[in-house]
Amino acid sequence: MKLNKILKNTLLIVFACFALSACATSKKTSGQMQGDVYTGTDSVEYLASGVPDRVFFATNESVLTTASRETLRKQAAYLRKNSKITIVLEGHADERGTREYNLALGERRANAAKDYLMTYGISSNRISVLSYGKERPVDSGSNPLAWSKNRRSVTVKAN
Amino acid sequence: MRILIKIIIFLILIPSKSFGLIEVDITRGNLDPLPIAVSPLSIDENSRQNFEKILKKGNIGNEISKIIEINLKTSGLFNPLNKDAFLQAPDIANLKPRFEDWNLIKAQALITGKVSYLDEKLRVEFRLWDVLAGKEMVALAFTTVPTNWRRVGHIITDKVYQRLTGEKGYFDTRIIYVAEEGPKTKRIKKLAIMDQDGANNKFLTLGNELVLTPRFNPTSQMVTYLSYFRNLPRVYLLDIETGTQEVVGDFPGMTFAPRFSPDGKKIIMSFAKDGNSEIYTMDLENRIVEKITNHPSIDTSPSFSPDGKFICFNSDRSGYQQIYVMRSDGSKVKRISFGKGLYGTPVWSPRGDLIAFTKLHKGKFYIGVMRTDGSGERLLTENFYQEAPSWSPNGRVLIFYRETKTDDKGEGFSAKLWSIDLTGYNERMVKTPTDASDPSWSSLLSN
Amino acid sequence: MNRSVIISSVLHAVFIFLTAMSLPFLTKKPIDLPPIVSIELIQITDKTNIPFAPKAKKIIEEVKKKEEKLVSEQAPPKKVKKIKPDSVPMPDDLVKNEKEIKEDKQNPEVVDNEVKQVSEFEKDELFDPNNIAALIDKSKEEIAETTKKNDKVTQDQKRNVENTGLSLSEEDALKAQIFGCWSIPLGLPYNENLLVRIKLQLKPDGTVAKSEIIDHARMNKPGQGFYKVLAESALRAVKLCQPLRVPTTGYEKWKELQLNFDAREMLEG
Repeated sequence: MKLNKILKNTLLIVFACFALSACATSKKTSGQMQGDVYTGTDSVEYLASGVPDRVFFATNESVLTTASRETLRKQAAYLRKNSKITIVLEGHADERGTREYNLALGERRANAAKDYLMTYGISSNRISVLSYGKERPVDSGSNPLAWSKNRRSVTVKAN
Repeated sequence: MRILIKIIIFLILIPSKSFGLIEVDITRGNLDPLPIAVSPLSIDENSRQNFEKILKKGNIGNEISKIIEINLKTSGLFNPLNKDAFLQAPDIANLKPRFEDWNLIKAQALITGKVSYLDEKLRVEFRLWDVLAGKEMVALAFTTVPTNWRRVGHIITDKVYQRLTGEKGYFDTRIIYVAEEGPKTKRIKKLAIMDQDGANNKFLTLGNELVLTPRFNPTSQMVTYLSYFRNLPRVYLLDIETGTQEVVGDFPGMTFAPRFSPDGKKIIMSFAKDGNSEIYTMDLENRIVEKITNHPSIDTSPSFSPDGKFICFNSDRSGYQQIYVMRSDGSKVKRISFGKGLYGTPVWSPRGDLIAFTKLHKGKFYIGVMRTDGSGERLLTENFYQEAPSWSPNGRVLIFYRETKTDDKGEGFSAKLWSIDLTGYNERMVKTPTDASDPSWSSLLSN
Repeated sequence: MNRSVIISSVLHAVFIFLTAMSLPFLTKKPIDLPPIVSIELIQITDKTNIPFAPKAKKIIEEVKKKEEKLVSEQAPPKKVKKIKPDSVPMPDDLVKNEKEIKEDKQNPEVVDNEVKQVSEFEKDELFDPNNIAALIDKSKEEIAETTKKNDKVTQDQKRNVENTGLSLSEEDALKAQIFGCWSIPLGLPYNENLLVRIKLQLKPDGTVAKSEIIDHARMNKPGQGFYKVLAESALRAVKLCQPLRVPTTGYEKWKELQLNFDAREMLEG
């Protein structure tokens, strides 16, 4: 009886493993994520031609990826050229975290972007920061790809 | 003398073979809810007609007993018996229950009572009987304005609950929460308040700005919450009796995760600046602001112990979200969560012995409790997404919210309030007119 | 390459095996419990055996009259005054309710009158929930009276560990019966001492002549309010179970019986 149960469980788990590995491979083939950072352009808007408005983060992270730095350098160049523009950096998190922690995490992400822009000569007077936590997702899906799109800091023109 | 002792010893040792007191250990019983009969409250014809005119309810005695019955059933601790099986009419039962009759339908407790219209007021007497012992356990009478009839039902339930469990009840209470509508990407959120049983639902804000995490003051009808009014996320204070609101403190950035101290005199919250969230308190009388934590990591979700001496909070100073406890002055910070996974939203039980939390482990969310030193972790419920437990005022039940997974098209999202007993039994959805999240339980409205 | 495949599959197999072994324990603890026996109502003896509980002060004098009075004493209504519901009004009827509160406070005479209307007799049987300990004191008194007659038995109350008295199967039958009768109050705190010891004096047919809570002093201790509830549930269980399934022989052995009700195991799961 007990052996039977164990066998059954084993089967179940083998199946689960197959299912999971299937997921894993499909993720890679979609080519829109590197690790769990979104690399696609689905939701991305542009401040100006060739200047993407947002950068993406890994789960629970606020470290800027190489791609994010490149995006932010473009933004900095654009902002230096248009010195009258002020911006709001909106930090967001995915739905897989508690609300209050995500508010703090969104703030940390937006500030990571802010700090980087400042090192490229943008005055902190021109930048304000606003965290939405997980309150304003761009993708309402409940899957890793959607979550990766939602872990972001978006640069929004304030004037 | 010695001989006497010898005789006694002899008496104890020898005859005990045949006369010793036999002990039998009873370590099991049934955990079925206690069968209880809620007899409809009796009412005289004159009173019935008066209340019908005022309240538009056919028989207010029946209505009140229905409230008691639903409350008892919802608690999971009682099993109100089917009224069809009652042998004694309400008016007679109220005077003199025939315990044999109630015994026959296996009731172990019986509630009877009488409603009358007296000087334009509602007067309710009720009695709780122990059917097996054949004795009265509680007898009380209430007088109030007729429109308060639902609360009379709740207060009676509280008294019955207290007498039969030894703990205070939680029925004459309200729940404040965030009512949600609209698509997930553009969710409209309003503050809403309702009675514990879902009646008297009211919206307190219009939904023009995002509002989050309302929490009751344990000592009054004040609420603190986070509002994105003018896109400036700040902690606000709202008096739900007068509707007056004010910003808490003058912070140059986002304040969030507010909660009252147990005496209701302070608000504890997080203030985020330059990517670092720290915990602050503000005294509501003298407006003095104190910084409690000082660490470059995220420190949030603070909650006082009921004696006000300690604070539990959420921090990622170890690299990941974990639960910490410190003295209320910020000293002696100690991590208490060491299980696998991430821990958030610690809330200190009003009894003081437990901390409820949300846990994320392997893609599942759990609501659980642990002792205040982190030992004895028990997970009560597992789901795709759920968080933000709030304690019933007696520390027996947790209410939290749960969100569903959306389908391939990103549809099918919903958020609902759920409650669960501390034992992990009796999980049930709390009905709300709209989707709902971030519940907070008030303390008892009476006494 | 081959090596890593082997290592990987071995590790996977180990992992699968471990998970399979541990799966059954993943289920929630409370559900792990063996099925619980539902309440079984066994014929209940006439209530005249049961000490009825009137107001504490009069208990001792009234003990002897009690049984004749039993029926009439339960009867008429009395009035306990308690004014409450207005204390925290809903936002909209705030003003109205404030008036109500005042009114109630201004007319205390009304309240008094109502109480006075109640006859002396009716007042007598006002139940005061605080007096439960006294009620149990009373049952203690009764025990004392009866035990005097049975001197031999009382002398032997000191428990002798070697003495098992009942055979295992006899004990199991009794336990099984009481398990079924005991509705554990679900609201109990899970981390307290939840042991209630009850001493019974039984008649040869297994009905209960007397029942006594041994640590009844604990009821009066602060923070032990739940103990009363627990004790009452144990007494109810005994009453529900009557007559107890006692062995057909050896009455002398089991005419006194101690039941140790411990809810902790059940509530902790």
